[in-house]
Amino acid sequence: MLSRVNAIETQELRKEYRGRAVVESLTLTVPPGEVFGFLGPNGAGKSTTVKMLLGLVHPSAGRVQVLGGSPHDPAVRERLGFLPEQFRFQTWMTAEEFLRFHGRLAGLKAAELRARIPQVLETVGLGGRGGENLGGYSKGMLQRAGLAGAILARPQLVFLDEPTSALDPIGRVEVREIIERLRGEGTAVFLNSHLLSEVEQVCDRVAFVKQGRVLRQGSMRELMGGVLPLDVRVDHLPPGLLDTLAGLGELRHTDTNTPGRTDVELWLDHEDTIPAVASAIHAAGARLYALKARRPDLETMFLDLIEDTPDSSARTARLGQGAARA
Amino acid sequence: MRNALLIAELSLREAIRKRLVSVLLLLTALFLGFYLYGIVRLEGTLDQRSLDAGLDGRSLNGASNLPVIYSAMFGMYLVYFLGSLMAVLSTVGAVSGDIENGVMQSVIARPISRAQLVLGRWLGFSAVNLGYVALLSAGLLGGVYAITGYLPPAPLAATGLILLSTLLLTALTVLGSTLFTTLANGIGVFVLYGVGFTGGILGSIGAFADTPTLTTLGRAANALMPTNALWLGASYHLQPAVALQISEASRGANPFFANAPIAAGLVVWAAVLAVLAVLAAMYRFSRRDL
Repeated sequence: MLSRVNAIETQELRKEYRGRAVVESLTLTVPPGEVFGFLGPNGAGKSTTVKMLLGLVHPSAGRVQVLGGSPHDPAVRERLGFLPEQFRFQTWMTAEEFLRFHGRLAGLKAAELRARIPQVLETVGLGGRGGENLGGYSKGMLQRAGLAGAILARPQLVFLDEPTSALDPIGRVEVREIIERLRGEGTAVFLNSHLLSEVEQVCDRVAFVKQGRVLRQGSMRELMGGVLPLDVRVDHLPPGLLDTLAGLGELRHTDTNTPGRTDVELWLDHEDTIPAVASAIHAAGARLYALKARRPDLETMFLDLIEDTPDSSARTARLGQGAARA
Repeated sequence: MRNALLIAELSLREAIRKRLVSVLLLLTALFLGFYLYGIVRLEGTLDQRSLDAGLDGRSLNGASNLPVIYSAMFGMYLVYFLGSLMAVLSTVGAVSGDIENGVMQSVIARPISRAQLVLGRWLGFSAVNLGYVALLSAGLLGGVYAITGYLPPAPLAATGLILLSTLLLTALTVLGSTLFTTLANGIGVFVLYGVGFTGGILGSIGAFADTPTLTTLGRAANALMPTNALWLGASYHLQPAVALQISEASRGANPFFANAPIAAGLVVWAAVLAVLAVLAAMYRFSRRDL
């Protein structure tokens, strides 16, 4: 893994428009084959960054490497897929013509395309609709067609800029499945999104950006300080159980207010401790109702991080923790 | 080059699918039908008059046939004008249109260089525009010949110069569409076209009034925008001796027709300018943020 070249590497990447920095000193590393979430508030420079990574926008300063080369090199772009935030395509084409055109631009052979196009249309849920004009497509269908275009040439790295903005809940689940399938095939995905729950569910790593700077990046666990919160519900607390649990992790919270039910929140250092917690509860003679490891809560992290970072336009009013969790 | 041809093919298909081609064919048929009907009537009138005058027939290149000669010339002027209009209108959004409606991003993210894209757009639109002008010219001159038996002295040379003018205008419009928005580009290229026409008018007044300054101004405008000079060159090839004599007698006091062939240098310059415009468009588009 280490010997393989990173999917994306940027150093001190900067973009100015008329003297105003949209992206300021962005340093980012995306390992190969990972699903990478790129998060930030509106106007953080997310789309501009994606465009620089694709060679659509020329950086004012800094270094960009995509799949080990420059995005301005067509040989590098041959291995990239891209779903733009503004998914607008030639409305006079049918979806099949659109995909054939893009496939030919990507260097695919005619025979290959004949097999591949129905396949990707099926994948994005447009099976059987490929003969219709894009002009008659709904927004959601257009976004699906764009997604089909992005994965058409079996890229090594796919950029998805807000890929579910026009999709209904079913479509969102399908996109998640597509992303997971891409990961399974070893394709790296750069997911630009502000839908935190979506990012939380599929991403291996995330970076938070604000005003064109990376505030923090890493795997979800790393970002949470390596802590794994565990919710435990038992019928009662036999003597000594709390002490045993405190030995396994950090005891954060105990709730015995409801008769016949006790909730305990435990912070573990490692996933492997979870079976030991279950065993300890059984050994103490308590009945176990729930044992749930909570994934790090991205929304809380996001709000804390974005609001804790002062900026020039100083939004100083800091929301309370309760409100942030709401 | 493969990618450039792919884009050219796309542009052609776009022209067909957006019904540009079918509308053009229909309007061309209407224009030619209308014009040629006029010539049929004209020919009938002239024949009748020569019969009334007790003549056996008319010489095709003689003064009695001047109405037919001038209708062929003005017809070709309309071809030049319609060709120019078409070159600008069809091509005005060749690059800017795709940027403005967001289509460009997903295309440029593919392994195609931007220079290839610009070249392909120019090739595709040139094919449409040149095809249109060639069709119109052939239809008009062929129609006149079929009706009256008259053919201008050098129809191929004349059509060639008009085609070069269309090619140049297409190239300048492609360049404009990498520099400006679609609307600004359209206005800009038409103003340039106007500059060329102004050059022709100034030059002809300068020659008529024997005023060197005006002639120089006209020449400067022709160098900046040679389309009108190319038309004037074409008009020379459309005039038989009798028409040229009239032109000379009036000392060129007619901004539509010239009584001298175009300078070879200006033809070369027009071709070079077209190539330079496409190269500039490639360069400019390669450096632009999308």
